[in-house]
Order: sequence, then structure tokens, then C-alpha cells
Amino acid sequence: MPVMFINDQPVDTGEHRTVLQVALANGFYVPHFCWHPELSIVGNCRVCVVEQEGRGVGIACNMPVAEGLRIQTESEPVRAQRKAMLQFILLNHPVDCGICDKAGECTLQDYHYAYNGAPALSHEPKLHSTKFFPLSERIILDNERCILCSRCVRFTREISKSNVLGMEQRGDGMRVRPVEDRTLDDDPYSDNVIDLCPVGALLSRSFQYQARVWYLEPTASVCPGCARGCTVQLWHRRHEWRLKGLDGSHNERILRVTPLENPRVNGAWICNKGRDLGALFGRPRAGQALLKGRPVLLAEAIDAARRLVRGAGRRVALVSSWGSNEELRAFRNALADRFTSFVKADHRPGEGEVVEDDLLIRADKNPNTHAAQALFGNAPADIPDDTELVLVWGEGADFSTLPRGAKIVHLGAWLQPENGYADVFIPISIQTERHGHYTSFEGVVSAFEPCQRRPEGVIDAETLFPLLAAPPGSDT
Amino acid sequence: MPGRKVLMDFEVTPDSHSLAAYRARGGYQALEKALRTMQPREVTQEIVDSGLQGRGGAAFPAGRKWQGIDPDDGQPHYLIANADEGEPGTFKDRWVLEYNPHALLESMLLASYALGVRHAFVYIRGEYDIPWRRLDAAVEEAYGEGLFGEDILGSGFSCDLFVFRGAGAYVCGEASSLLGSIEGSRAYPRNRPPRMTVRGLYQAPTVVNNVETLATIAWILRNGAAAFRAIGTERSPGTRLISVSGHIRNPGVYEVELGYSWAKFLHEDCGGLLCNKPLKAVIPGGISSQVLTGKDAKVLTAEEVECLTLDHEKLRSAGSSLGSGGMIVIAEGTCMVRLLQIMLRFYHHESCGQCTPCREGTGWMHRVIDRIVAGEGRPEDIDTLHHVARYNDGTTICGLGDAAGYAATAMLDNFRDEFEYFIEHGRSKFGGNLECR
Repeated sequence: MPVMFINDQPVDTGEHRTVLQVALANGFYVPHFCWHPELSIVGNCRVCVVEQEGRGVGIACNMPVAEGLRIQTESEPVRAQRKAMLQFILLNHPVDCGICDKAGECTLQDYHYAYNGAPALSHEPKLHSTKFFPLSERIILDNERCILCSRCVRFTREISKSNVLGMEQRGDGMRVRPVEDRTLDDDPYSDNVIDLCPVGALLSRSFQYQARVWYLEPTASVCPGCARGCTVQLWHRRHEWRLKGLDGSHNERILRVTPLENPRVNGAWICNKGRDLGALFGRPRAGQALLKGRPVLLAEAIDAARRLVRGAGRRVALVSSWGSNEELRAFRNALADRFTSFVKADHRPGEGEVVEDDLLIRADKNPNTHAAQALFGNAPADIPDDTELVLVWGEGADFSTLPRGAKIVHLGAWLQPENGYADVFIPISIQTERHGHYTSFEGVVSAFEPCQRRPEGVIDAETLFPLLAAPPGSDT
Repeated sequence: MPGRKVLMDFEVTPDSHSLAAYRARGGYQALEKALRTMQPREVTQEIVDSGLQGRGGAAFPAGRKWQGIDPDDGQPHYLIANADEGEPGTFKDRWVLEYNPHALLESMLLASYALGVRHAFVYIRGEYDIPWRRLDAAVEEAYGEGLFGEDILGSGFSCDLFVFRGAGAYVCGEASSLLGSIEGSRAYPRNRPPRMTVRGLYQAPTVVNNVETLATIAWILRNGAAAFRAIGTERSPGTRLISVSGHIRNPGVYEVELGYSWAKFLHEDCGGLLCNKPLKAVIPGGISSQVLTGKDAKVLTAEEVECLTLDHEKLRSAGSSLGSGGMIVIAEGTCMVRLLQIMLRFYHHESCGQCTPCREGTGWMHRVIDRIVAGEGRPEDIDTLHHVARYNDGTTICGLGDAAGYAATAMLDNFRDEFEYFIEHGRSKFGGNLECR
């Protein structure tokens, strides 16, 4: 294993090929804008400078590792050059942090405080450029803030391969632009460029001006949008920053979704569908138990369901592929012997949605089909006409195709017309209200955490199943 | 005449650029000799022995560059003649392309043979119309006589030549960004490593040489490395094409034997300065080389004639370089502030925008000098310019940023009083003169 020296400490270079990678892997932070582990090396920001003893200052991202290389990351020439580069970058940057969504998590802001900190040397007026350039229905571009690191351009060329973005003009008039006749709407992974952007040049329309990021905190979760099971972070207001003046839903709202880096599943990316989980989880919730459309107490509904589960003859269950591993196990342990169970696809590809591609998106639009089929088989739903009870767990069942004489017990989370059609409707919790795990199509198990309170009158499916198995009249 | 000749060793007539005329003065003999009697490595060795240095600006030994390529490594190799002569003040390659295109073509064949190149390119700047026509006609002539294509002169060696016209960006003259231009992407200079002789055009090993460098090769192969070494100085053999412009009586392209006296060249060969003014400064090798002041030049003009000669070492020790051979002569009474303004405007306009220091720095310096020239300079502006120039030098991917830095630093160091005067009085010490009156 080649050994080199960073700040006079010997470090093992391992598999790394550049000095920057070795430094970062060994805890020597070297600031960088344009370099990204998943993208090609362009070396254009010139901030990641280090001193190679005897050879002077150079950029670390393109400096090959060599045996016995001696690197200084904090020597005087390095500091001076880094500072000068930051001054160049800030020369035409508007420094409108006060109204910039990136403020608080902006690399340039952090580096300025860490490595520059000096007032501007320039007295010249800043160059102006386009503000609010629409790149797509989802993304706007602020060219004044852009530092031209080209991460977004490389992303569309190397990762999403939509080739939508490019540079036009040259010198300090250079701008990121979509190529002719195209927009980022063509790219199902476009929102990743917002995270990639080291400054606030690429902005999400849905998150714009919604919150200062320091009021927010992320909760680790798993995207239920398809069988890939990408790990994500759901951003919502920090607990200590919840405002009494706002109603509860506002304080708990999911304001944005970002990828949670996970080399085994999704790397550093998620698709645009995953970015919209806030809307998915923000749909009107069902909070009222119903008996044939008549509002009843939850305990009453559970008792009615128990009677049906005990009394009916032939029983079929349509198991949700959105249930967590824990819920699926609870169902099997408590109720599987009373039902013939089929796994149901709760969601199918929507109109205009990318069905499948080579990067992340899978055709199965449900998060836990893999685990559900492992427990209940993958046979297609075959419901005999003499079925007396159908337990429908989750969305996606067409009630009109169920046998006419069968009673229906529906466990659902959303406000939907068929809730009132069922003989018993019991509202259950959603992913953001409970702990759990999903198993991806590759068999990778990922955990999700709650970030919202379970509404009144709603029960976790995991708690519900043992209750349904108990005799009528037992405690609930 | 300024010494012996290599490229200008014939009389220019209306058809001296034709293949027949070139053959009549011994053209394509070196090619026949090399293809019949020499191994590719022997050709490279001959160039190494000749001590030929690159004529594009950096004066890197051409033979050493070629040795970076193994002709038998089984990969495709490419040879590119850099005819994107964009350096302000430089127009020497134009002479080769217009009056001696076959010297370039024969040399490119020799180089292709030495480097195992199947496809060679000439990257010519889009503004060069007549040179392009002449070159194109010469290529057609050469193809007509079987000098390019399959099985050249029955030797089994094949080589095709493509003439690629640039679209006018200065940065395309930088060898690695030229590759991007040929490949059809943005002409961005590339980070080294890898060197172009490892991964260049289409990811294959590539040699990019200046037109003048390449054009000299036929002569070297014809007359031998020893004969070439006999010309010029010990460390800088051969001749340079110098394009002289500015306040000089006889501007134009001259072939100068390296080591020739500077004073003699300016005052005898070029006819002295316009209006018989004294010399103020010389930009010796295109605006990307540091300006030399009259102070140094006075040494030239007066007693110690030997002191400064036209060769790479002497100029390097004087703190400049022979660069691309674009000599700009500046007479006393010229406003250096406005001259620097023009230079910085050029660099600002031509910065490709890829890397930070040059993209922002050239524009910054340009805006500062514009303000000074508008009479709104501040005392701290000189320090600002120094600071920006300092951090443009050596921090960028290619040499353009460095060059902008050199230009400003050299001007500020040598003519600080003029800048201070301009800032203090809000007007030029020399009435803003750029012409010689």
C-alpha cells in the first residue's frame, strides 16, 4: 500500500487515486466546489489547493497519489491562494444570503467564514445576469449566484444522461443554460442538481422561500415511490422551532426531501418523484372510523371487524405492499391463518411517469412488494365468488371487482370515496407517523423514522392486527 | 540580413508556394530519404539531436515531446499542427502557411512517420482566409501526387491530413483546448496530468506542435541535425520567425538566426523606430510575454550591443521570453496605461470562463483599468491589480490566466510612475497616445 504524508502525518492512500480523496478519507478537510465523488474531475474552481513539498501549490482534485508524496494542506501559500480564489469567486456573487434559500447550508458561505473572512477587495459594481431563469416546472436558476462549477452540467451528462444542461458564452459572461428546445422537465432526476449546487443558484420552486434551513431538521426515511427503496431525508421544522401561531399541520409539514447518501441503494441521488413525497404524504387523511359510511368510534369499528373476521366463511385478504416489514409480520402472526392472502400493488405507474430506467426508477411502484411476497407468495389475486369477507389493506383495490356478496373491511390512511362503501373502515397510520423498515427489490432493508404525530382516531396497523384476531368484546 | 535562413531560404515569387517550386528547391527529398532509409525512431532521434525547441511560446524541446509517444504501442496517435495563431502581435505562422505550405506538409508527413500517426490535423484559425486557401490547395496538390493517403511513395506508410478551421477563439490556440474544439465540444483547456502525449485527441496520445516548429523538421531531416545545430546558439539552435509590429519603420515577418543582436535587428533590419523616436519598450514574444523596458533596451542601443541577443536563454534571464515571436515595438511617448487597458480587454474578452481565477480576474483587472483610464482611478488600484495579477499567475488550468497576470505585473512594475500619474491626475502622462506622432 502506498504511503504518503499529509501535514507530516503518514496516511495510507488505499484505493484512492487523487490527493483530495486521500485527504478527505483521512480527515484532512480540503475545501472544494467543483469536485464531487460521483462526477468527473474538471478542476475549475481552483479552491482545493494544497502544497506539494518541493513542487509548489496545485489543485488536489487532479493531483495523482504517489508513494512518499508530501502534502501540506494548511501552509501559508495554500491559505493565501485559497483566500484569493474565494475572493475571485465572490467577486460577482451577489451575497444576497438574506433572501437566498441556500443560506445556512451554502458551501460558499461556510468557506468564506472558514477560509476568507475578509471584506471584498473590489470596489467595482457586480456583474448582473439573469435571475429566476426557468429551467423547468420544478427548478429556477439564478445566474448571478452561479459560480460556474459545472456540477449540474456534469450531472445531466454523466449521471442522468439527459444532456439537458450546458454552458453558453464565455469568460465572466458564461451561463448555465438548457440546450436548445429542451428543458429540465425531460430529466426525471433533475432535482438532484439543486443539492449538487454548492451555492443558491439552482432553486426548487416548491421549496423557494418556504423556510430558512436552520429552522429545519431532517428525518431519515425511505422513499415508497418504487421498489428501489431509496433512502431519503424528510425535512420539517425543528421541534424547538415549532411555532404556536401556526396550526399543527404547518409545523409538521414536509418541506422538502433530499437523498440520504447510501452507496448500497441510491448513491447520492433520488428521482423527482421522491422529491414530491411531501405532496404524497400531505394528501387529505382519513381520521374517522366508519361503519358503512356512518362515523363511529375506533373501538366500535374494530369490534365490528372482529365479528366479521370470526364469523364469515371464506375469507380473503389483500395485503398492502406499502406495509412495513413489522406490519407484514404482525399480519402474518395474527391473522394469516384466517385468510387466504394475496399481495396487492397499492400504486401503479401514473400517467406520464417514468416506468423504469437504468439508474434508479423501478417499474414496481410500491416499496415493500419484496417482503410481502416473501411472506404471502406472489400469486395474482384470485378471489372466489363465494368469498364472504375481503380485508382490503391499503390503496389500489378496485371495490367493484370484489364479489358482490362479500363483506369488506378496509384499512386505509387516505380520505377516499370507497372508505364509505366498505362495511368497516378503520383509519391506519402512514409511514411518517411510525417506525419501520422496507425491503427493497434487491433485498436491502432500510429503516424509516417518524416525523409527524399520528392523528387522533388513527391506529397503527401493527397494533391493529392482534386486536382484530382477538374475540369480539375484548379490550382495544 | 539577420543571419542564416531555414524557412525563408528562397525567393518569394507568385508561385513559389506551389508543389513544383517546392520540389525544385529540394522539397520532399527528406521524406523519400526517411521513408526509404530511416526507422521512425531514427527520425525522432534526429529531432532530439537537432535541439529544436517549440516555436509556439513555451520553447519546450520538440524531440523530448515526441519521445513521450511510443510509436509501436498499438494505439492510434494523432499529430496536430497548431496554426491557431491568435497571440496579438504574432503573425509568423501565416507566412509559412502562405508562402511555404509544403514545408509544413512534408514536415508533418515526417513527424507522422516518426510518431506512427495515421491521421494528422492542421488546426487553422478561422480568420486566416488566404493561408487556409493556400494550405488547402497545397494539401490537394500533395494528395494528387500521392504524398498523402494510402501507401505513400510505395513505402507502406499511410497518412491522411485534415485541415480544421477554428472559429476564432484565442483559447483554441492552447494545445489542449484545441483538442476539444476538434472533438466538437467546448474548447476548454484540460488539466494535466494526463499529458496530451498520454491522453489527447479522442483519448489517444497526441502531439501538438506549432506550425513553425513542424515546418522546420523537413529542413533538419534534409540537412541533418548537425547542420541545424550549427545555426543559432549553443542552447537555442536554429532560427526564429519574428513578426515585428508597432512603432517600427519596416514591420513584417523576419527570419532571425537565434543569438542575433537585438539592436542590429531593430535598427538595421527593421529600419529603426518610426519618427526616429527612442525605444521605450519591447514586447518580445506576443503580449503574453513580459514587456521589456527601454531601460533594458538602452543597454541594447548603446554601448553593450552584445548584452541582449534574440535567443531564449538571454530573454529568459532578462525576465521575459521570445514567446511566439510576435514582437511589438513601443516608442517613447506611448501611454502604457492605455496599452495595458487594450491588453486586459483582450484577455477579458478571450477568457474561456472555465476556471475561476482567469474568468473573474481578467474581468476584474479590465474593469479596474477601464476606471483608471476614465479618470476615476484610486491609489489602491495599483495594489489591487498587482494582487489580481499575482493570483492569476500559476493558478489557472492553462497559460491564458498566467499571461494576463504577466502582462499586468510587467507593465505595473516597469511603468508604475505612469499609472500613479494617471490615477493622481485623472489623465495620461502622454496624452493617451498609442500612435507614434
